[in-house]
Amino acid sequence: MYGGDFDGNAAFSGGGFMPSQATQSTDPFPSALSKHRDTQTLIPLTVRQINKALLSNDDKVNILIDGVDVNNVKLVGMVMNKAERVTDVSFVLDDGTGRIDCNRWVHEAVDTKEMEAILERMYVRVHGQLKGFQGKKQLVVFGIKPVTDFDEITHHFVECIYVHSYNTKLMKQQPGSSNQTHMPSAAVTTQTYQTGPSNQFTGQHVADGLQGVEKMVLDYLHLPGSLARESGVHQEELVKQLGIPLNKIT
Amino acid sequence: MDTSNPAVLVNGDLLGSYVGRRVRTVIQVVQPSAGGLTGRSTDEKQVVVKGQMPSPVTTFVEVIGVADSAQAITAEIVTNFGDTTFDANNFNQLCQHANGAFRHLFI
Repeated sequence: MYGGDFDGNAAFSGGGFMPSQATQSTDPFPSALSKHRDTQTLIPLTVRQINKALLSNDDKVNILIDGVDVNNVKLVGMVMNKAERVTDVSFVLDDGTGRIDCNRWVHEAVDTKEMEAILERMYVRVHGQLKGFQGKKQLVVFGIKPVTDFDEITHHFVECIYVHSYNTKLMKQQPGSSNQTHMPSAAVTTQTYQTGPSNQFTGQHVADGLQGVEKMVLDYLHLPGSLARESGVHQEELVKQLGIPLNKIT
Repeated sequence: MDTSNPAVLVNGDLLGSYVGRRVRTVIQVVQPSAGGLTGRSTDEKQVVVKGQMPSPVTTFVEVIGVADSAQAITAEIVTNFGDTTFDANNFNQLCQHANGAFRHLFI
């Protein structure tokens, strides 16, 4: 029993060390992972966008496009130079804006079958991750599907335009968030294409708790005309504009 | 990383601005002919395509090739885009965007 307690204590003291170690080592992990998961949105891109980003980003681990960490990308283009090997299939994807080397690792029969259906000069939709390999960036493909409805090509490019506009607009709204470090960019990317923006409304949350009259006064004070005036808004003006007796305002 | 051979997305109107350059566009086939076809672009302009065609050819085809003039393309690759469900208006507007405000994403 004592041995058991001792073991328990040992386990505990080991546990005493371990949790703190765990909190040291795993805490950054879950938060980094969860941020990582949050930031791993699927972004539709053209090959031109990728190439331009690579030219300007060079050796960085993660490339940034329009202020967004780019991990998972979606491309639509034509398969060229398909080469089947034992463990992988490589091809070049040409989407009209450029060409990018792609590689699809083939582990199971399902994968082989999927790749066999992909023929040369066929239009496909590709999901993958950008990875550096021997100095060149290539796309590690984890999903590939032939395009059957060719409106998809138009749609993909339109989506690229939309996402680009959306992200550049977000970038303009938050000039302070640095694109260099990962943490602030995580905050920015929670507002990327996939999730709706929420930060813009925090200013209004303060007013939510106020009562009717106070809210009206606050709203009036927040009007651009009122804000512009250095002297502030006189009580009597508030009375006149809002039609509320003075004793209620003060 | 190869950026050679980009093909500019064009419609009938824009074809004239890229004579001599590699372009891609979608054409509605009006009349197939020997060694090519005559078609209508997504903005209702007539375009003549020279080159090898897939057979049979569907109503809509995508042509990637070099623009010879404002109405003619020498095709390198022709792809069947189907008989019905292709949104020509959508494609037309995409061409305008891809050559306008959002050129930098494409060229």
